[in-house]
Amino acid sequence: MKHKAVRKAVREFAETELGPIVSDLDRESRFPWEVIAKMRPLNFFGLQIPRDYGGADIDSISYAITIEEISRVSAAIGLCVTVHNSVGAYPIVLFGTAEQKKRFLPSLAGGERIGAFCLSEANAGSDAGGVETHGVKDGDAYVINGTKIFVTNGGVCGLALIFAVTDPDNAKSGASVFMVEKETPGFSVGEIEDLCGMRANPVSSLFFEDCRVPETHLLGRPGEGLRIGLAALDTGRIGIAAQALGIAQAAFDAALKYSRERQQFGRPISTFQTIQNYLADMSTEIDAGRLLLYRACAFKDSGGPFGPEAAKAKLYCSTLATRVTNLAVQIHGGYGYSKEYDVERYFRDAKVTEIYEGTSEVQRMVIARALLSRPT
Amino acid sequence: MMDSPMLKLVVCVKQVPMVSELPWDSKTGTLKRNMAEGMMNPACKHALEAALEIKNSHGAHITTLSMGPPMAEEILRESLAMGADRSILLTDPRMAGADTLITSYTLAHAIAKECPDFDLILCGCQTSDSETAQVGPQLAEELDIPAVAYVKQVEIAGRRVRMQRESDDFLETLEMDMPGLITVSTAGYPPRYVSLCGLQLAFEAGDIVRRSMDDIGLESADVGMQASPTRILDVYSSIARKKNIVLKGTPKKSVETLFDQFGDKLSGVMAKDLKTHDHDRNDDDREDE
Amino acid sequence: MTEKMNKPGQRICVFGDYRNYFQNRVTLQLLARARELAPAIGAEVCAVVFGSQVSEYVCEYIAHGAQTVYVADDPVLKDYCVETYLFLAEHLIRQYRPDIFLIGATDFGREFAPRVAKRLKTGLTADCIGLEINADGLLVQTAPSFGGNLIATIITPEKRPQMATVRPGTFKELPHNDAAAGRIVSIPVPSDLPIPRVRLVHSERKPPREQRIEDAGIVICGGRGMGSRTKFKKLFEMARLMGAEVGATRPVVHSHWADHDCLVGQAGKNIHPRILFSLGVSGAIQHTAAIHDADLIIAINKNPNAAMMKMADVAIVADAGQFCSAMIRELKNRIRE
Repeated sequence: MKHKAVRKAVREFAETELGPIVSDLDRESRFPWEVIAKMRPLNFFGLQIPRDYGGADIDSISYAITIEEISRVSAAIGLCVTVHNSVGAYPIVLFGTAEQKKRFLPSLAGGERIGAFCLSEANAGSDAGGVETHGVKDGDAYVINGTKIFVTNGGVCGLALIFAVTDPDNAKSGASVFMVEKETPGFSVGEIEDLCGMRANPVSSLFFEDCRVPETHLLGRPGEGLRIGLAALDTGRIGIAAQALGIAQAAFDAALKYSRERQQFGRPISTFQTIQNYLADMSTEIDAGRLLLYRACAFKDSGGPFGPEAAKAKLYCSTLATRVTNLAVQIHGGYGYSKEYDVERYFRDAKVTEIYEGTSEVQRMVIARALLSRPT
Repeated sequence: MMDSPMLKLVVCVKQVPMVSELPWDSKTGTLKRNMAEGMMNPACKHALEAALEIKNSHGAHITTLSMGPPMAEEILRESLAMGADRSILLTDPRMAGADTLITSYTLAHAIAKECPDFDLILCGCQTSDSETAQVGPQLAEELDIPAVAYVKQVEIAGRRVRMQRESDDFLETLEMDMPGLITVSTAGYPPRYVSLCGLQLAFEAGDIVRRSMDDIGLESADVGMQASPTRILDVYSSIARKKNIVLKGTPKKSVETLFDQFGDKLSGVMAKDLKTHDHDRNDDDREDE
Repeated sequence: MTEKMNKPGQRICVFGDYRNYFQNRVTLQLLARARELAPAIGAEVCAVVFGSQVSEYVCEYIAHGAQTVYVADDPVLKDYCVETYLFLAEHLIRQYRPDIFLIGATDFGREFAPRVAKRLKTGLTADCIGLEINADGLLVQTAPSFGGNLIATIITPEKRPQMATVRPGTFKELPHNDAAAGRIVSIPVPSDLPIPRVRLVHSERKPPREQRIEDAGIVICGGRGMGSRTKFKKLFEMARLMGAEVGATRPVVHSHWADHDCLVGQAGKNIHPRILFSLGVSGAIQHTAAIHDADLIIAINKNPNAAMMKMADVAIVADAGQFCSAMIRELKNRIRE
């Protein structure tokens, strides 16, 4: 009953506040601060932050449902919320010192600062080893230089977790994670990317030019960057899987509705077996994805390792999202290709779920590595 | 122990079908009520919001009370998530089918039993399903307390309640002493959204108090359909009995057809004289279907 | 009066709700309907009037069909007061035992009637849109629910009186007949009238607006299907030509195509136009639940299967914006000034 209540509550909020403006946001590439303001007191920005720090500390299935339901209406805002929570704030929950938590978590939980996570660079994405941004120790601070690209929430972030090489001689454990506040001198935001989908999310580059960050803002220990990054991505993938699922659900709902309304040859197209097969497959895939996702959530909440489960959920949900949105456009025919209907947006939004927070190829790598690491 | 002077509020809430997703039986034109998703009746939510604002400004203990099937626990959890302190679910299959007279009778018994020391009862002004707006006023009669319907704004000073409302084109300010009852209109108190933290806490809060007919001292003959003075003869979908003329073709042609068929009606309501049209005018701007 | 046996004392009582007389003629409408129903049960049609210096209304009710008027006319009754009226009504009904008691579904009526019914432990049907007498001589009350999506017919088989509140505009009033005669029965106001527990501190008539969407005879509602803010603005031109008011759906208000004042639906205005034009509105229940009692619904939508199109009397499959332009041209053509 609780999870149903979470779904209803988030759906009501998203449909009421985001529903009427979502296509405008997409068309105008606008980030809806007015809706963000309403989301803050409802704990959307402190989903898995402990209540002592102003968070809601919800369980992972509730978390997935929340992201799913926001994304069902606006994938771009679902993206903002999941990135903020899973890879912006949660690593601090996991790895922060008491001091760091006290300093950073309340403003993240309240949504006064929106979080971002910066790994990708021009020459580093799937290969985290290619990171060129570096931090050089100087007294009680690190001086950071470099450029991060494709940063989700980049244009609106108040706090960025950035990966920088602190020990250039050590390829494996030379990276560290810094928490950089946006007002730090030397930190600046680049132009907003002109992307195929997720257009309401201000994805941008972030520049660090002699950006002096106190060493107390280093998360974990120096050289722990890769470990923190991988842990963050495990959680992040649950969010992206949920987001992909939300997009797929929206596309399926639209296709089902349309197929019952649209008449061809004198009857609703839903009476044709071909369309029925499409609908049956779409629904089955969505259900399967949802079960994989909730399983990963249950693994996470039980406290054990859940990396491969999260990777499977992310791989499956993102690929099903592109398949389902593709079929939804197909069922809509010409109208589906028109901006007048929402399915073309779902179609554009879905694709990137196969790319960010680890491409499908990387997910397969993670899954296979787990399989092959088992003793024979 | 000293009695705290804290206000005791009771908010009556009803679970109604979420009509946007109503499953209609297209053959019979009836509603498959058992298949509908439930939600808190909108006006009840406004009443709860009014209670929460009183709680914020004066401090109050809020009990939400609902009569309905076990599934109605959902809206009581929601009420806890919004900030209510305690919830009672009055559920008993024998209570089903009660009309407003018997519903108010049953609720009054539950209140007398479970929260006899209430200061103010708040109800939604009407439900979105049966739309009678009768239960609130009748509950006040049953409890023999003063009541005001369609309240838009409420202020409390001491034991005095001051209310504003619109009633038949009059803006009225009214006063009464507690204990009393108000029904809250949807014109004021836009309800808050449920916070995710509130929701978690609502479900961690333990069991909802459940009461049956026997618990509140009523007998079968007193409740439900058999005790109700009204009988429903028939229910049907209003849509099913409409003619539903469908016009296709160019907008221009549809507009002309509209005037041809309903010109008199339009002219009457507009109170304007309309020309009946010459159809043999130049047709070059007429497109084909 | 009728060939049927006139059972002694059978009465249909109509509550005289005169506070907004001229705008709201529901009492006259109920008298007219009561006159139509009365022969079937051999009843006399009575009006009940409480107030101070109300002889004007008493005459008006007689001229519109009341055969007997029960009047309590006393300075103490000058304000509409639920509790006082309740006290008087209860005693009047216990004394005269009408078979049927009808009350207009005004705000006052809908607050007053349930409490009368409760005191008399009888049934009450809310906001009826139809009244008939069936073969058993029972009042069959037709009431909408679910925002008019469902219609129920309801009877009160045993308890008396059979009570209903009735939506204004449901029935047509009888023409004013100066020659009509009626009996006037004065109801004494007891000196120990209970002091009302609810005190009226202040009351003022709402400032009159030229026309309110709630009262408009024609409402033109626009939805997102109008396409853009600019196209939505054309609705105002159409409304001006028709003397109509413009309403909007929630998404439209959210997109700032129209002010919140225009919102028709949950948290917005309730309307009961005689004619409703609904352009580019899908028909979400939050919107349609606020539309009551429209004689004629004309829906325009590209999607013939939109819910609004299904509930319309005339469903026009067309682009809402283009229809609006065509309508404006046609109105300009046809209206004789």
